Amino acid sequence: MTRRQSLPYVFLVPTILVLMTLAFVPLGYAINISLQDKTLISPNSSYIWFENYVDLFSDRRFKNALWISLKWELITVPATMIAALGLGVMMFELLSPRQRNLLCLVFLVPVLLPRVCAAFVWKFAFHPLYGIVTYPYRLITGDTLDLLSDPAMALYAVAFVDLWQWGFFFAVIFLKLLESLPPQPLEAARLDYAKTWQIHAYISLPMLKAPIVSLALVKAIESLRSFDLVYIMTRGGPGITTETLDMYAFSQGFIEAGKISYASSMAVIMMLLTIVIFTFIWKKARI
Amino acid sequence: MTLARFIGKSFLALMAFIVLFPIIWTLLNAFKENVDILTRTPKLFFSPITDNILYVLGRASVLDALINSLIICGISVAIGVVFGLPAAYAVARYPNRWTGEVQFFVLSLRFLPPVAVAIPLMVIWLNLGLYDTRIAMVATYSLLTISITIWLAVPAFQQVPKAIEEAARVDGYGPYAVFAKIALPVAMKTLLGAVAFSFVLIWNEFLIALMLTTSDAKTLPIVASEMSQLGLDVPWGILNAAVILLSIPPLLLLGLLSGFMNSMFTNKSR
Repeated sequence: MTRRQSLPYVFLVPTILVLMTLAFVPLGYAINISLQDKTLISPNSSYIWFENYVDLFSDRRFKNALWISLKWELITVPATMIAALGLGVMMFELLSPRQRNLLCLVFLVPVLLPRVCAAFVWKFAFHPLYGIVTYPYRLITGDTLDLLSDPAMALYAVAFVDLWQWGFFFAVIFLKLLESLPPQPLEAARLDYAKTWQIHAYISLPMLKAPIVSLALVKAIESLRSFDLVYIMTRGGPGITTETLDMYAFSQGFIEAGKISYASSMAVIMMLLTIVIFTFIWKKARI
Repeated sequence: MTLARFIGKSFLALMAFIVLFPIIWTLLNAFKENVDILTRTPKLFFSPITDNILYVLGRASVLDALINSLIICGISVAIGVVFGLPAAYAVARYPNRWTGEVQFFVLSLRFLPPVAVAIPLMVIWLNLGLYDTRIAMVATYSLLTISITIWLAVPAFQQVPKAIEEAARVDGYGPYAVFAKIALPVAMKTLLGAVAFSFVLIWNEFLIALMLTTSDAKTLPIVASEMSQLGLDVPWGILNAAVILLSIPPLLLLGLLSGFMNSMFTNKSR
C-alpha cells in the first residue's frame, strides 16, 4: 500500500520542481532587470526602481503596441473560430469518411509548417510585382497592389496568414468533435424535418459548447505568439501599424536601443496582463 | 439540395486549393532561376534547376544549424518525455486536490509570453557564460517540451481502460510495473503523437532562438530567415528552397499527428 501511495510523489515532484525552476527563475529575473537601467551596450547598471514602468505609461509606441495586440486578438480569434466552425460543419455534412480523412490531412499542413516558412510563403505571394496572389489584380487593373506596405491593410494581411495556419487546423478538430457526438439527437431532429443549419445551431453546437470555449481560449493564447509572422512579413511596419507588444519589446531590447531593462518592464506587464486575464477567463469558463 | 451540395463541395475543394497552392508554388519557385521568378506574369512552365537546393544544402551555416536543430530538438523532446510522461500518468491516475492545480500550473506556463521568458534568460545565460550554447537552448526549450507533453499525455493516459490496469494489479503488478508495462504500451500510439507535437513545436520555434543565439547554437529557422539578407538582391529562389527544406521534417510527421488527433478527439472511452 505504501508503495502505491509513493508513485504520485515520485512521478510529480521532480517534474514540478524542474518546471518551477525553469519558469520562476526567469520571471524573478525579469522583474529584477526591469527595476534597473541595464542596456546591452554598457555593463554597468543601477536600480532605478519603477522609472521604466512610469516611462511606459507615457510611451505612445507602447500604447500603440497594446492596441495593435488587442486588435490582433480581436481579429484572429473570432476569424479562426468562425472559419473552423463553418468548415467543420461543411465537412461533416458533405463528405464521405474517406474524403474527410483526405481533407483532414490537407488541412493539417499549414499548422505544421514552421511559422517562419508560412510567413515567407505568403510574403512571396503578396509581393506587389511578382506575387501570385497579387497577379490577378495586376492583370485586371494594370496597377500594383502592395498589401504589406499599406498601413490600413498590413495587419489584416498578416492576420490572414494566421487564419490560414489555424483556421484549417481547428476545422479538423471541430470535425472530430462533431464525429464524437452521439448520433441519436441529430437523427431525431432530422426525422422532425429540421434543416441542417438548425440541427447544428440548436443541437450540435450547444452540445459542444465547453470544448468550443476551450478552443477559443487556446487560440487566444496562441495568438499572442504572433511574433514570427510579424517579424518576417512586416517587422512591425509600415511605420508602427503592425507592431505588436512582443515585436515592440524585441525592437526596444535588441534592434534599436538595446534597452534590455525597458524591454523587460514591458515583458513583465505583458506577463501580468496575460496571466491575470487568462487565469480569470479559464477558471470562469470551466465552471 | 444537390445543387447546394455541389456548391458546398466545390467550396471545400477551393479551400484545399488555398491550403496547397501557395506551398506548391513555393516548391516550384525553389526550382526556378531568379529570372523565372521575377516575372510580371507568373511562369508555370520553366526549365527546372537544382542550384537553389544545392546551394542551401551546401552552405556550412545550414549544416551547422541542422546539427544544432537536431541535437537541441532531440534532447529537449527526450527531457520532455522523461519528466512529462510520469507526471501526466500521476495526474491522470491518482487524482487528488493537488493534481487539478498541477494541471492548471502546467497550462498557465503556456500563457507566458515568449519574450518575457527570453529576455531574462538571455541575461541569465550571459551571466553564466552559457549564452549561445546548445545547453542553454535545451534548458530553455525543456520548459516548453515538459509542459506540452504533460498537457497532451494526460488525456492519452485517461483513455487507457482502467480494467486492464486493475487486471494487471490483480496479477501482482506493483504500481510502477503497471505504468511501465501496461499503461505506457497501451497508450503508446497516442503518446507518440504527443511527442511528435512537441518535436514540431520546438523545430518551428523562432523567437526564443532568435534572442538566445548569435552564431554557435543557431537553429534552422534562424538561418533560413537570414537567407533573405544575402547580398543586395533578395535571392528568391534560394529563399524558397530554404523554406521548402525547413518544412520537410514537420510534414513527415503529418500521418502520425493526424492519427493522434483521431485518438484524442473521437475515442472518448474513459
